[in-house]
Amino acid sequence: MIEFDELHGKLVLKLVYYGPALSGKTTNLLSLHDRLLQEGRGELMLLDTTEDRTIYFDLLPFFYVAPSGFKIKLKVYTVPGQVRHDATRKAVLQRADGVVFVADSRISQMAVNAESFANLEQNLTLVGLDIEKLPLVVQFNKRDLPDVVLETELRETWGPTELPVYMASALQGQGVLETFQAAVEGIFKSVDQKLGLLERYQVNQRAFVQSVVKTI
Amino acid sequence: MNEATSHIEFIIGEEKRLSDIVSRAEIEPLLRSGLKLGILRAALLDEDELPLATLGAAPSADRGELLQKRLSIMVEGEPKGTLLLESDGSNPAFEALARLLQEALQLTVTNNLKRMLTTEVHTSIVQESYDQLVTTNRRLMESEQRYRELARDLEKKVVERTTELQQAYQRMLQQEKLAAVGQLAAGMAHEINTPLGFIRSNLNSFAKYQNRMAEMLGLYRLMLDKEASPEVIRRQTEQRWKELKLDFLLEDSGVLLGQSLEGADRIATIVAQLKNFAHLDGMEQQPMDIRRELEQLLAGLAAQFPPNTRLITDLHQLPLLTCRVPLMVQAFANLIDNALKSRAEGLELTVRAFQDADQVLVCISDNGCGIPAEHLSRIFEPFFTTREVGKGSGMGLTVAREAISGAGGNIEVESVVGQGTLCRVRLPQGAASPDHRDHKTL
Repeated sequence: MIEFDELHGKLVLKLVYYGPALSGKTTNLLSLHDRLLQEGRGELMLLDTTEDRTIYFDLLPFFYVAPSGFKIKLKVYTVPGQVRHDATRKAVLQRADGVVFVADSRISQMAVNAESFANLEQNLTLVGLDIEKLPLVVQFNKRDLPDVVLETELRETWGPTELPVYMASALQGQGVLETFQAAVEGIFKSVDQKLGLLERYQVNQRAFVQSVVKTI
Repeated sequence: MNEATSHIEFIIGEEKRLSDIVSRAEIEPLLRSGLKLGILRAALLDEDELPLATLGAAPSADRGELLQKRLSIMVEGEPKGTLLLESDGSNPAFEALARLLQEALQLTVTNNLKRMLTTEVHTSIVQESYDQLVTTNRRLMESEQRYRELARDLEKKVVERTTELQQAYQRMLQQEKLAAVGQLAAGMAHEINTPLGFIRSNLNSFAKYQNRMAEMLGLYRLMLDKEASPEVIRRQTEQRWKELKLDFLLEDSGVLLGQSLEGADRIATIVAQLKNFAHLDGMEQQPMDIRRELEQLLAGLAAQFPPNTRLITDLHQLPLLTCRVPLMVQAFANLIDNALKSRAEGLELTVRAFQDADQVLVCISDNGCGIPAEHLSRIFEPFFTTREVGKGSGMGLTVAREAISGAGGNIEVESVVGQGTLCRVRLPQGAASPDHRDHKTL
């Protein structure tokens, strides 16, 4: 949680898109930006990139004002996936309220995914977040490519973790919204438990999620 | 400045105020250009409607129609500031100008924000690298400390082990001495046995002679008791005298006794040598007559000479050497012993002792098997031996060098395989300096 201003009834939340290099994290955000209504979200801010690779991070902010006047700002970030940018990943991961892990579905990338996921676990620990309690959604991207691991296999592997797993093709806009919505729901539930959003500020989950995930 | 207090930490995503992002100095040039183009008053208000920058004056009421525009400045998609522009009705480009200024200001704000965000990430990374360096450095210092402690312990261990070795070495020295004494005793026993043998044999013979002499004397007494005439006595005793071969007996008795006395003298000499060699009177520093000791030593070792040994000695009378005499004798004994074992027969052993400038030189050389070059550097090492197991302790030369350096001298060994070995011992004249008295080679 970036900020919780009780006096002014304002909450700033953070959702981080994590994953190996070139797995499609920025593409997810671009797709969200294209498919969601302008109303309720800000502009996508891309910080410097080199050759399609994020070096700092990308940011897409969302806004919601409840009928009670309580404001929620959700900032969605991507991290650089390359191994060498670990310090940046760690910095972006600080105070995250939820994580979307974007994996590359191709068979050849399974080891890279595993390495990146291990890195996520490690960095979460380092920034003081508990992976058991943090809302985490897994997305297997690039389903449109050949040589991808079968969905049944993936579900078999990830089933025991009880994490929500989504198949997606961010370039074609498939599965992107579903992933995002699952993450937003997860975050809302988790924050509601801590702060009592509904009880104290009359912020309704359905209304919030619908506002944030409002397609064109 | 304390490093700990200067720790900068950014939370990525932390909300920023407009005043954090742009400064008055950045805004004013833009607003001023608006004023030049006919805008009467231009201001940028922050989230709380407070002016960050204001230029121009409110148009007076008498100038007719007042145009006012409020335009939002966005930060991360959220309106955070307001661009307030006022103009009179006579400015036809007011609308376009207002848009232009808004866009320019918005661009400045967005670019500044991006720059700030990248700067923050960068600073975080630098901070983390620094923290890692500090941590690494601390670990290095800790491990250095550990190694230092380890080194100190090691030193202690080395001292302990060295002491142990020195004690073992001293025990070995003692054993070596005992072995040498045993060897010497065996030699002495052999030396004593020979004269003892012929003394016994002589005395046996003399006992028989004595019987016959007694018989002869008995015959004389008998004749005298019978009061026989001298003529009868002479005739009868002459006969018996010849039968008993008394002429030979009397002559041989003298020889036998003379030889026995000589043998007893030899035994006495050997015992005297043994006493000198053993120096039972302790290990104090005493004056040593090198020449006499060498002579006695060679005499004592004579029994161990291999067959057909040729001994060449050239021993000069030398100034007395103050040293631990038994040790020095032992040293020479060991050197000579090596020479004796260098050849099974036909040994040519040369022992020379003479003065050379301000030093005394003792040279012991043989025509024996020699020492291979690769062994020459190790011969003084304790326990180094090329002899069969049980035949050599490997301590002989060690003991020798110990004794020689203890007396302030040194030893050199030259050797050619198949030709022989030369041991050159240099000793100081007179007393050994106190520094050398407790010299340890280990």
